[in-house]
Amino acid sequence: MESSAYITLRDVVFSRSGRRIFDGISLDIPKGKVTAIMGPSGTGKTTLLRLIGGQLRPDSGQVSVAGHDVPRLKRKALYQLREKMGMLFQSGALFTDLSVYENVAFPLRVHTSLPEDMIRDIVLMKLEAVGLRGARELMPSELSGGMTRRVALARSIALDPELIMYDEPFAGQDPIAMGVLVKLIRDLNSSMGLTSVLVSHDVPESLSICHYACIIADGKVIGEGTPEELRAHPSERVQQFLEGQPDGPVPFHYPSGDAAADFGVGGPSS
Amino acid sequence: MMDRIAGLGRLGLAIIASFGRSGQFLFGVLAGVPRPATGFPLLVKQLYAVGVLSLAIVVVSGLFIGMVLGLQGYTILSDYGSESAIGQMIALTLVRELGPVVTALLFAGRAGSALTAEIGLMKATEQLSSMEMMGVDPLRRVVAPRLWAGFLAMPVLAMIFSVVGIWGGMLVGVEWLGVFEGSFWGNMQSSVDFVDDVLNGFIKSVVFGFVCAWIAVYQGYDCVPTSAGISSATTKTVVYSSLAVLGLDFVLTAVMFGDF
Repeated sequence: MESSAYITLRDVVFSRSGRRIFDGISLDIPKGKVTAIMGPSGTGKTTLLRLIGGQLRPDSGQVSVAGHDVPRLKRKALYQLREKMGMLFQSGALFTDLSVYENVAFPLRVHTSLPEDMIRDIVLMKLEAVGLRGARELMPSELSGGMTRRVALARSIALDPELIMYDEPFAGQDPIAMGVLVKLIRDLNSSMGLTSVLVSHDVPESLSICHYACIIADGKVIGEGTPEELRAHPSERVQQFLEGQPDGPVPFHYPSGDAAADFGVGGPSS
Repeated sequence: MMDRIAGLGRLGLAIIASFGRSGQFLFGVLAGVPRPATGFPLLVKQLYAVGVLSLAIVVVSGLFIGMVLGLQGYTILSDYGSESAIGQMIALTLVRELGPVVTALLFAGRAGSALTAEIGLMKATEQLSSMEMMGVDPLRRVVAPRLWAGFLAMPVLAMIFSVVGIWGGMLVGVEWLGVFEGSFWGNMQSSVDFVDDVLNGFIKSVVFGFVCAWIAVYQGYDCVPTSAGISSATTKTVVYSSLAVLGLDFVLTAVMFGDF
């Protein structure tokens, strides 16, 4: 990796409801780059973002963001650190009782004491960056799925964060909306010098914009590297995921008993 | 047999854990002192949603309950020739008991369930999480104004309920059934004591308001963030609030009026 790590996870163990989600995962996320974290559904990709954001605490291990040991931060210090983070949630998570304009203005109003005309300028600039300056008077219920995510993106960059985390930004988007989001993530990263963490299972889109990627499965990193390195990765498991093969190391069939016995062929059924 | 005992134990632990979580939650909500510039507009907005929008149901219920009390009171008291005491009967019943209790039950059904559903839906749609990630504590920004609004609105609603109820009782007793107006108001004035009756009723409504608002916001914040989870939390709000109000009413009545 050329750049120094902005986020470091070391031997992170995390369990929920008796289920081990991460079993000693270690990961470095470089500063100023787009890092894609991919993996099958249910492997804990969103949980990883919540560990980085300090919304969850690991059972053991270290989570460090910009040199801060996140799980050990006091509440006030954690909230101050979060002002340097932006997060785009899968649903957009816009405040439904506020207009598009007020949603984007929300972090500015809470964390700054800027005069109203300056807030207006910043909000309009952020909305212009995502192509929705003209939609500022709309309510969230009037937006399409793609527009919702763009407004949420404008809101998450309102305070000019150092880090932005995208949780499944492409899920359920039509090709045009997906193309817009791909462009925005790439452009924002380069123009604002952000460190971006992209959690997704949309392989072509993620690999097209990331500088670095890793694939998580069974609580561990099973493959990591640049997109080219991943495409040439020797692991069958990695190749099955990247190429979307229905059968392989991850079997098509859920573990089950003897089929002949279940169908009552060649022996007594249970 | 052992399974049943273990199940009982698990249930007991779950209930105790829930009490612990709700206590921690309350501490978290009340610990932070909001900035007046941001906190006050949020409080006013919630006072409108919780208090002003509950006015219609409180006024209509108060009116009908007062009218029913007027009718029932007249029927019973006229057997003894003391229908002129109808005013004091209506006033004492409303100020001491029905005002705080019925308002709290109505409040739990209208405003409490709405608070739970709103906070639960904000949780399910990740609005609370996104607030946390923006460095804003949802306990202080979302929950605290709603808790304080419930706490402040309930006593006012209970007073309005009692006043409208007395007016409804007067409509039936004086205007319809012909009880002498002077004895209606005069008996009421001489028998209703400010400290023993009005103030105790007010204290009850303060307690009920706090408990109902606490249960409502906690159930919303602690709910499972799914449709079924929100539905279950909303039901729990109404059931727990109603039971808590009725139970606490007995305790408070025993403390306030049990000096036999």
